[in-house]
Amino acid sequence: MRGLKRRSIGSIVADVIIYFLLAFFAVITVIPFVYVIAASFAPEYEILTRPLFIIPKTFTLDAYARIFDPNDYGLTVLRSLGVSVLVTAIGTITNLFFTTTMAYGLSRKSLKGRNFILNCVIFTMVFSGGMIPTFLIVKGLGMYNTYAALILPGAISAYNMIIVRNFFQELPSGLEEAAAIDGCTDIGIFLKIALPLSLPMLATFGLFYAVGHWNNYFGALLYLSDPMKYPFQLILRNIVMLSQETQNDPNALQPQETLKMAIIVIGTVPILCVYPFLQKHFAAGVMVGAIKG
Amino acid sequence: MADLQLKNIYKKYAGGVTAVSDFCLDIADKEFIILVGPSGCGKSTTLRMIAGLEEISEGELYIDGKLVNDVAPKDRDIAMVFQNYALYPHMTVFENMAFGLKLRKTPKDEIKKRVTEAAKILDIEHLLDRKPKALSGGQRQRVALGRAIVRDPKVFLMDEPLSNLDAKLRVQMRTEINKLHKKLQTTFIYVTHDQTEAMTMGTRIVVMKDGLIQQVDTPANLYTKPCNVFVAGFMGSPQMNFVNAVVSQKSDGVYLEFNNQEIKLPEGKASKPELQAYIGKEVIMGIRPEDIHDEETFVNSRPECVVDAYVEISEMMGAETFLYLTIGGAPFTARVNQRSTAKVNDTIKVALEANKIHLFDKDTELAIIH
Repeated sequence: MRGLKRRSIGSIVADVIIYFLLAFFAVITVIPFVYVIAASFAPEYEILTRPLFIIPKTFTLDAYARIFDPNDYGLTVLRSLGVSVLVTAIGTITNLFFTTTMAYGLSRKSLKGRNFILNCVIFTMVFSGGMIPTFLIVKGLGMYNTYAALILPGAISAYNMIIVRNFFQELPSGLEEAAAIDGCTDIGIFLKIALPLSLPMLATFGLFYAVGHWNNYFGALLYLSDPMKYPFQLILRNIVMLSQETQNDPNALQPQETLKMAIIVIGTVPILCVYPFLQKHFAAGVMVGAIKG
Repeated sequence: MADLQLKNIYKKYAGGVTAVSDFCLDIADKEFIILVGPSGCGKSTTLRMIAGLEEISEGELYIDGKLVNDVAPKDRDIAMVFQNYALYPHMTVFENMAFGLKLRKTPKDEIKKRVTEAAKILDIEHLLDRKPKALSGGQRQRVALGRAIVRDPKVFLMDEPLSNLDAKLRVQMRTEINKLHKKLQTTFIYVTHDQTEAMTMGTRIVVMKDGLIQQVDTPANLYTKPCNVFVAGFMGSPQMNFVNAVVSQKSDGVYLEFNNQEIKLPEGKASKPELQAYIGKEVIMGIRPEDIHDEETFVNSRPECVVDAYVEISEMMGAETFLYLTIGGAPFTARVNQRSTAKVNDTIKVALEANKIHLFDKDTELAIIH
């Protein structure tokens, strides 16, 4: 019925302003992405001479050729990509395993002391251990310079765990009771009923965790001393930092801008590729815990 | 197929709330037992204790002679149909029905056979590949029943399975469940707050209030011989009319006097020894709406039971008419013939069928005579 009403001029003007603002923010968000991709296919001189462009005048794959050249950056990049994929995959699975199992346990009313445990979790959100104590613990546990140091200290995000717990709490108790009568054990109910019903939520938090692992360079900077174990983001960071440190030194050998752009693209594309497959679940999952029903 | 014994069962929650008290009941094999009562009377809690979904605080529960207080729900060989169906939304109808059998490692061929048979009984064969969200309420209810049937359990438990259905479908499913009970020849325990469901389905009905059993009897006996005011009022729609009356002995017989009206009790009732102690005392008189008559022939034939009634509201129900009357200031409901000529705001003569009057003790509310 709303569509039948004549719209006022004020309403039309408001819509125009809203669409203009949305378009403006979309453009300033997308332009840097497009520029980075375009610049990665442009020759060095074009980047230095043109302040901003979205289509290179001269198309070249030189930067990518250098990045994947085994005699240049190739081995380092490929190895670090492999490390990043490994850490992201194992890290995300670990995160989801610990988050869902703890969240499900804490969502059960039959668990005695669950409020105490939950308060302990909330406490860590307010008062964290800090960087140096965490480093000392990691080192003390023998995880220094191992990939475990990139995964285990952040195995559970307290914030995510609480949202997942709220989701599990909202699952109808009748389903679990029906499953219990049908012959499921507690673990069976978790695996066969609760988890399959939580796929949108798992996809959402899986993506959060995966992006976190993929983009994390700081953990590697702290806990890894062997350059052969560096993940991709740390290699990227080192290249960018080298460029900043040497930009005022005319004698230093600076990495080319186009090379930086290409390596940024390589660092971003894998996660961008995953997103469309999870998008459907993600859109449903971001509402998890927001409304009941 | 199994018999059940519930011996002095209590359910007490932390905080001192007692949901079920001293529940004692023997349920015979193949019986269709209905637990009925108002909200909060403990009927669902009792059913959930039988299912193993609630712990029994005190007492003993035997299924087929075996104490099952500490036996897990999956090992009690029961199946339950829930009020909200509790179908697994991520599974198809077939998978929903087969889930329990799969967990029990039933061979695939056997699962297929049993699911197909159950689907045929319930007329849901064409729905086996659908997910629950693509089903109507009635179809979901059938699937929930099917999930229980395929298990071939010793006891069927049903927790208000029809309360989410519309009135027409409820009547239809009521008949289906009755047929199912006859076909499966298994013990059914059915919880409802709807006394019509209770009356039409059960072989015996357990009426509960505040966690206590009020009466256990056949539908006919509960209706004609309620043991107290609560049962008398709960069973029957519209409910029984109650009014305080004094029992008085006169030269020509025993009378009930209420609100300046009096009716004579028939000899059969008046001579009952239980009534003698109440001569001269106030009691609660109960009479069902269908035992109040406005037909001229009936009124003329029972002058000793005729009273004046003011018609406040008349509801034409199709096959019958409900008259909401005031008799001596007290409200009464009469279920009369649809051809009744009584009009709103009329004062009419009605005859109370004295033979069908129930008398209850005013203090204990227990039945004196029926």
